[in-house]
Amino acid sequence: MRNESWTLMLPPLGIMLTGLGILLLRQQGMGHPILEQLVELPYIPWMCVCILLAALIQFVLLHSRPPADPWMFPTALFLTSIGLMMLARLKMELLPAQLKWLCIGMLLFLLMLRLRKFTLRLTEYPYLLGIGCVVLLVLPLLFGTEIGGSRNWIVLGSFRVQPSEFGKILLVLFLAAYLSEHRHMLSLPSRKLLLLRLPPFRFIAPLLCIWSAAILMFVVAKDLGSALLFFGIAVFMTYMATGSRSYVCIACAAFSLAAVLSYFMFGHVRVRFDIWLDPWQDPGGMAYQVVQSLFALGTGGVWGTGFGFGHPGIIPEVHTDFIFSAIAEEFGLVGALMVMLAYLLFFYEGIRVALTRRQTAHMLLAAGAASVFFLQAFIIIAGVTKFLPLTGITLPFISYGGSSMVSSFLLLGILIAVSRGEGA
Amino acid sequence: MEERMKKQILHAATLLMLAFGVLMAYVAYLMTFQSEALALHPLNPRSSVGEDHIWRGSLLDAKGRPLAESDLPGARSYPYGKMMAPVTGYFGESTGSAGLEGYANRTLLGITDEMGRMGPVAQLFAADHGNHVRLTIDADVQQAAWDGLDGRRGAVVVLDADTGAVLALVSSPSFDPSDIEAQWDGLLQREDSPLLNRPLAGLYPPGSTIKPMIADIALEKQITDPGEFFECSGLLDVGGGYTIKESHDEAHGKLTLGEAIRESCNVTFGTLGMRLGGQGLSDGFHRFAFDRPLQGELMENGNHLPDFYHLDSGDLAQIGIGQSSLLVTPMHMALLAAAMVHGGIIMKPYMIDEVLSPSGAVLHKTQPEEWAAATTEERARMISAWMRDVVEKGTGTAAAVSDVPVFGKTGTAENPAGDDHAWFIGSARLPERTIAFAVLVENGGEGGRTAAPIARDVMMSILSGN
Repeated sequence: MRNESWTLMLPPLGIMLTGLGILLLRQQGMGHPILEQLVELPYIPWMCVCILLAALIQFVLLHSRPPADPWMFPTALFLTSIGLMMLARLKMELLPAQLKWLCIGMLLFLLMLRLRKFTLRLTEYPYLLGIGCVVLLVLPLLFGTEIGGSRNWIVLGSFRVQPSEFGKILLVLFLAAYLSEHRHMLSLPSRKLLLLRLPPFRFIAPLLCIWSAAILMFVVAKDLGSALLFFGIAVFMTYMATGSRSYVCIACAAFSLAAVLSYFMFGHVRVRFDIWLDPWQDPGGMAYQVVQSLFALGTGGVWGTGFGFGHPGIIPEVHTDFIFSAIAEEFGLVGALMVMLAYLLFFYEGIRVALTRRQTAHMLLAAGAASVFFLQAFIIIAGVTKFLPLTGITLPFISYGGSSMVSSFLLLGILIAVSRGEGA
Repeated sequence: MEERMKKQILHAATLLMLAFGVLMAYVAYLMTFQSEALALHPLNPRSSVGEDHIWRGSLLDAKGRPLAESDLPGARSYPYGKMMAPVTGYFGESTGSAGLEGYANRTLLGITDEMGRMGPVAQLFAADHGNHVRLTIDADVQQAAWDGLDGRRGAVVVLDADTGAVLALVSSPSFDPSDIEAQWDGLLQREDSPLLNRPLAGLYPPGSTIKPMIADIALEKQITDPGEFFECSGLLDVGGGYTIKESHDEAHGKLTLGEAIRESCNVTFGTLGMRLGGQGLSDGFHRFAFDRPLQGELMENGNHLPDFYHLDSGDLAQIGIGQSSLLVTPMHMALLAAAMVHGGIIMKPYMIDEVLSPSGAVLHKTQPEEWAAATTEERARMISAWMRDVVEKGTGTAAAVSDVPVFGKTGTAENPAGDDHAWFIGSARLPERTIAFAVLVENGGEGGRTAAPIARDVMMSILSGN
């Protein structure tokens, strides 16, 4: 087991080094004294730090008592390395920044490994977590800046954060804590309304609060992707805890109502939806991104154009929300399915961890955290392939973005912490 | 209790995984079954984006003179500039591409269809030199037509009626195809639409140039015969309080169908339009393939045909003289003329003659093929004879060339944009080849005076070139 886990580190390392190597050769041409220029590349120091940190983390994981899950970190690194390789190919100038964020993410991850008990004890303070979550969500509505059509950024000098990326961590913690504490109460039917069984209002109120916050994001911040993610997580975790289909029905009805209302009330929602229905109405204007993304997929075909031989740069914002299309174009269906399978395995492993736990809070925490990654990957991949209307959100571990990278590793930290169990 | 929750978690997780599985299947469907349609979609800029490392092949005219060439990989020059822009088109990363630079992009880059299916392995076979494309265009003929338009807005199409080979494709005003990206915004804003490829995408009322075809339809439907006399008083009542007038308020008196073509008699053809009715006209336009836009390297903007089954008698009469809501491309009018001189058969127009490898070997040669059987040889001969009268003693004498049989029809088309459009369509049996042509000068006034001389210039240039 232990040796196999070290070999799991090889694919990510190989992918990153080969990818960067190919780019270097293509850029410099054969026969140049590469070694001398290598030292001057701005990303080299950060890359070395990342490799060392990754090795250190795997060492800590393998020697931890009780043992931690050995699969999830290498899988996350696999996805990260693909992201780094694509970013280097698409926007080389952003690579050092992304590596820096990766370092910060892994350092925080290490910290969480050290503070495992503290992390797990967080679930004892559900209301604090809930308030924190709502504050994080409302913050950008009050002090936020609109970037790329969504008012979900906070700008502090040269430093830009997306609070919703961290809000989702608090959301998972809150839901796990609150639901495990009150799930008996929540599963008790008290009133019947039509065919739906409703619980006492005061138990469902905090959930309603979170749902409203999600809908508020939808409407005010124009951050459709995060809204969908928050809502989806809330619904899935509520079902996991209570097994009540009534909640799911109520929540979905409320969300559909909000969606229909915002379709008629807000231009940006209508535009997204109309593009989804028929992108060929305005392929050069509003639907440009989606249409170009479809072209990228089609051009990729089964085997792809080959790394560096495609034209993914035609898609605007390809390095963040649309990075999946770039992977699909250059690595084809084979590469696209590989990435999707990695998310599937990651989710599977997360759910497996959840099912081995004894405390309900930890079960929900693991299942919720795994669902965040999976649902997020689903939402954005479905969006860029026109399976669902496009709602901008990052592809976890792969897309460019500091907030996304750091929050993904924090969430991974929670998963790993839970995987080590309640024991000493 | 924990067991129940495990089951619930498992249920929710299964649902999520199923949804993800459906998404994977959908992605697989897109990237296999839909792959080719998306990859070759005309709006997909990837098929026209230049490859920096490939030495793009040249576009050559019929005599081997370069129309577009690359001295270095990534650089592109157009020796004939504006004049050839409707033929060469342009290509730019942000602007997309047009003309042959777009249509023949893969050929010029040396990419074959087989390579498209090989995926990344194809990079091993990628050539550093693309193929050359030899066109049917003759730069001398193109030049003569361009000079003939002399800066006026308009279009000229010249083709070989026996093969369909296009000899000239002129649109004015035009643009310099080199460095298109820098000029793009300015070109888009100009009111005289220099980017519009007028011979293929310009839509104009044909006016009287449609009359040879109306005569053919009328003869085919047997609603008249060459011996019938029409009475032209200069005015035709078309019902609903409307009338059709002759130009210059003439009255032709008694005349036959042939004389009506020669004099371009509106009363006669208005009468025939009403006699034919919607069904008769619709059949005729279908026979001459006006409802079939050209595809391929001569991609045509479809003609605008009226809704033939909901026309009142006034509209029927107007269509008989090429007005009402009928709008056609100059290319299609040239094909009409070609049908008359080629025994009723329209040959498929083409511009790519040969594809040559970098070393000059012929990889592909286009074979002429029939495109539409427009009319019978007998009627084509009869109508050609009347069209010859037009040039010898009718409205089109300005196009006459000594010792050469020239056939023609003038047109002066009313339009909402201002002065009448000047048209001249026709054909000529030159010693070397039989050509057909269409000349249009936007708001140029009388076709016989403005457009016919340009056709003559074109014929003279071919005669002097051989």
